[in-house]
Amino acid sequence: MDYIIKLKRKKKSFWKDGFVWRMAWRDARHNMYRLFLFVSSVIIGIAALVSINSFNINLQANIDRQAKELLGADFVISASEEFQEELAVAMDSAGGYQASEVTMASMARFMTSTPGTRLIRLVAMEGDFPFYGVVETTPGDALSRMKQGQTAMLDQNLASRYDVSSDDSLAVGQLTFTIAGEVDQIPNGGGVQATFTPSIYIDMDWLDSTGLVQYGSRVTYKRYFAFDSDEEASAAFEKLRPIARKYGYSVDDVQERKEDLGRAFENLYRFFSLLAFVALILGSIGVASSIHIYVREKRNTVAVLRCIGASGWQAFYIFLIQSVFLGVIGSLIGVFIGLFLQYSLPLMLAEFIPLDLEIGVAWQAIFNGLVMGIVISILFSLLPLLSIRFIPPLSVLRTHSGGPKRRSKSTITVATLIVFFPFLVATYQTRDWLMGLSFFGGLITAFLVLTALAFVLMWAVRTYFPSRAGFILRQSLANLFRPNNQTHVLMVVIGLGVFLIATLQIVQNSLLNQVEFVGQDNQSNTILFDIQREQKDGVVDLTEENELPVNQLVPIVTSRLSKVKGRTIAQIQEDTTDNIRNWSLTREYRVTYRDSLHVSEKLLEGGVQHISGDSIFVTISEGMQDNLEVGVGDSLVFDVQGVPFQVYIAGVRDVEWQKDPPNFIFVFPNGVLEEAPQFYVLATRVDDDAVANKYQRELVTAFPNVSLIDIRLILETIDGFFNKVKFIIQFMALFSIITGLIVLAGAVLNSRHARLKENVLLRTIGASGKQIVGLTLLEYVYLGMLAGLTGILLSLVSSWVLARYFFEIVFRPDVPALIITWVAVIILTVIVGWWNTRQVVNESPLTVLRREG
Amino acid sequence: MENILSVENLTKRFTSGDRELTVLDNITFNLRKGSSLAVVGPSGSGKTTLLGLCAGLDVPTEGSVTLAGIKLNALDEDDRAFMRNKHVGFIFQNFQLLPTLTAEENVLIPLELRGERPDYQLARELLGRVGLGDRSSHYPSQLSGGEQQRVAMARAFITRPEILFADEPTGNLDESTAETVTELLFDLNREAGTTLVLVTHNMELASFTERILELRGGHLVKDTAHIPG
Repeated sequence: MDYIIKLKRKKKSFWKDGFVWRMAWRDARHNMYRLFLFVSSVIIGIAALVSINSFNINLQANIDRQAKELLGADFVISASEEFQEELAVAMDSAGGYQASEVTMASMARFMTSTPGTRLIRLVAMEGDFPFYGVVETTPGDALSRMKQGQTAMLDQNLASRYDVSSDDSLAVGQLTFTIAGEVDQIPNGGGVQATFTPSIYIDMDWLDSTGLVQYGSRVTYKRYFAFDSDEEASAAFEKLRPIARKYGYSVDDVQERKEDLGRAFENLYRFFSLLAFVALILGSIGVASSIHIYVREKRNTVAVLRCIGASGWQAFYIFLIQSVFLGVIGSLIGVFIGLFLQYSLPLMLAEFIPLDLEIGVAWQAIFNGLVMGIVISILFSLLPLLSIRFIPPLSVLRTHSGGPKRRSKSTITVATLIVFFPFLVATYQTRDWLMGLSFFGGLITAFLVLTALAFVLMWAVRTYFPSRAGFILRQSLANLFRPNNQTHVLMVVIGLGVFLIATLQIVQNSLLNQVEFVGQDNQSNTILFDIQREQKDGVVDLTEENELPVNQLVPIVTSRLSKVKGRTIAQIQEDTTDNIRNWSLTREYRVTYRDSLHVSEKLLEGGVQHISGDSIFVTISEGMQDNLEVGVGDSLVFDVQGVPFQVYIAGVRDVEWQKDPPNFIFVFPNGVLEEAPQFYVLATRVDDDAVANKYQRELVTAFPNVSLIDIRLILETIDGFFNKVKFIIQFMALFSIITGLIVLAGAVLNSRHARLKENVLLRTIGASGKQIVGLTLLEYVYLGMLAGLTGILLSLVSSWVLARYFFEIVFRPDVPALIITWVAVIILTVIVGWWNTRQVVNESPLTVLRREG
Repeated sequence: MENILSVENLTKRFTSGDRELTVLDNITFNLRKGSSLAVVGPSGSGKTTLLGLCAGLDVPTEGSVTLAGIKLNALDEDDRAFMRNKHVGFIFQNFQLLPTLTAEENVLIPLELRGERPDYQLARELLGRVGLGDRSSHYPSQLSGGEQQRVAMARAFITRPEILFADEPTGNLDESTAETVTELLFDLNREAGTTLVLVTHNMELASFTERILELRGGHLVKDTAHIPG
């Protein structure tokens, strides 16, 4: 017999292979519910990516467009003291349009329908500021009214807190002002600052009469400049800047303001990029997971096709076409949802952004979203899909005829691309490969740790689960190890969402506890500052009359450094070889004097402040020692109101800043500064709200220049701030949990057959419907418990690290809140699991047997 | 008459852990075009393995299979698939219809795999021939076991294969359905002049063929020619 050993097989491109296209459609039309999971994963990833990228693009465009309006001038010079004469003369002769502003902290008393007192930022304005942009007020003429009489404007959040209505009044210092209106938006204002210290605006003419500017008052002086042309502005800027810098004043022009704002938003942008990155990766996991399960289900279909003549590549293309098609659909839907979502981000962030955000369609974000959706649909499908080519036709005859385990060049290439994909996406998102690398490293670490935790937990459960537990308890646990159950993937993905939420919860709780902790054990929770020497006894008497303790009465002297280690500040500024920060050289230091350590202090090296012979020895806090690059024995010269004091560093203190304030960077010994101009800070503790209100009212009336910080108010503000940030993070963490639930739904649907067989078997051998339901529900309870526990365990570690090393606070997890999160995850898991299984559980064995043949 | 299938010294071994298991040992036989053959034997005797090797679904450890003049050993997986599409039809114990395709679409696949346009007329004729003319748009899950096997037969015959491999075609059917299916199988086979290779436990079914090979423990123990009953 003559043998033909080669066949002439025509190889058709899949574009022209009608069978492949027809088969892709025929197969997909009845698998919509399974492929829905695939599409959902793409939608989630792309919606997050497009909404965030689109928002970022819009934000950048707004900053560019509104840069001048943000500053309100061409440039501004700011100083924490009255401008030195040299600069004042130069500024007066600089020409152009000028406006002045003086800001300081002060107490304000609101005589409104909800009266009260609180610490505010007083802004005294002179001139026609802003030169660019407008002050938006309600009513619209509030600014002109403010300039015409003894009237004041106030930030919107203050107005709403004290229920301000027109012609109400407020007292600042020794003056009472009629309220002209609310400030909705003001150039060079707003943002986070407005949340923490809201402002009251008055005309400069009234500032002196308030009596607030006294010795020790922390006042900021600003001069705004605007010119008819950019050239004039630039010339004036170049002339004034060197003089201002010499005195340590800050100079901001539009470009710097833009850059500052860019830097401020950089963190927000990076944070958002990280969220988009996590969402995209989770979407990719969802894609990979759903297609992996889908391919397993299709194994028999492929084997039959191979048996009757389909080539490996034909089988591959059938499912690749489905993936690409669904990727396009998912991306399109994701883009639409993303565009819709981007309009909600400015609402969530309105209080943090000092801009009138105009959101438009960002075509670049749309294009990127579409491309990324298709890329993840293909890339994360490829690995399972490529294995289709190796499904042996023999598995039609023998189900256990070996899996598609072969490694081909294409699978290795795809696996490599998948590994590098997160790095490439992170680099693209942050436009910085180092940042991309750190995102990538963080992601890999988080996933590795979560995976390791998931394995350890599963192992522990399997090993230590009581063998004498009842049948339902044991069987439902064993079900977690059923093939196709994706238990580990679920634990990691749901765990990631829980991890994000729980970490935030713990950090927030630790921060809030820190503030509460300060108020415990009779420690001070109310600080009075700017008490003048002649007011000292009166304030102490008032405090004692209110039956409040005087925990501390600390003298404070303001000073500046004039020499460090024998070199003048100017010499150090000129020397570019050291790393001493300019602000630490030019800032005002508020120092005190005593001979002992305070409860919040520990000596790290050297001795306590003292006088030895003619030499004065001071102590310095640990952080500032690093900034100034000084050590024990080094000399410093302080300028105290024009009088130089040469001192030496006696020791370095570790200061717990939050504990029993006030705390100090420099502490002098007794016997040096007693005669220098000084003011006092008094620390007391107020527990009762009524007493607090009465005390504050009396204080503001008798000593209008004295300001009071109520730590409980800070607590409230921190809480409010956290709640807003929390909402954004929770919003993103939700993406993670939704992806986890999609993977869960997929796993449940795809293990349907195995579940049916198990249930039929159990029913046949006598299990009741109640037992089957119990078994199924318990399986999801275990899954939710394990996934939640994985996330919570990791969050405990990460929040401990954050608390200890980043925030430097006491780690204080909120156990009830963590338990609530855990239970919520369990309930969600049970609901999603049950929803997809209920039909299987409720069916009678006979119906199943009939249908299964 | 010309041989459609030549099996020479066919051996198949599997490795299970450290152990090597010989499932088929040195099997040799030829099959004439248009004839019918039943492979019988107890479970584990190597019947299905032999069928898989003869149809090119698997490759032998030693020996060779020549099908329709083509030596299968020399072909790669895709070439063997192409060869099966050109020359071979299959019927399986558990029908192996694609659940997402209608009866008509299932029947058309082998034709479409050849690159031909779907011939709906021919598919309907074949379905009519197996008694399912009115069920062409039904999905496998909407058909009984016997009906599914008849769709599988229509699918196997649509390309008029030179050889048909049937693995326990009545194994999952009740007695009366099995009888109908058997009758139909042999009728179609006769009409198309197809060579039939049947793997079965069922001696009654085997008795319809012209020749019976009996396997035991991977060895060919009996090769009997007889007049079909």
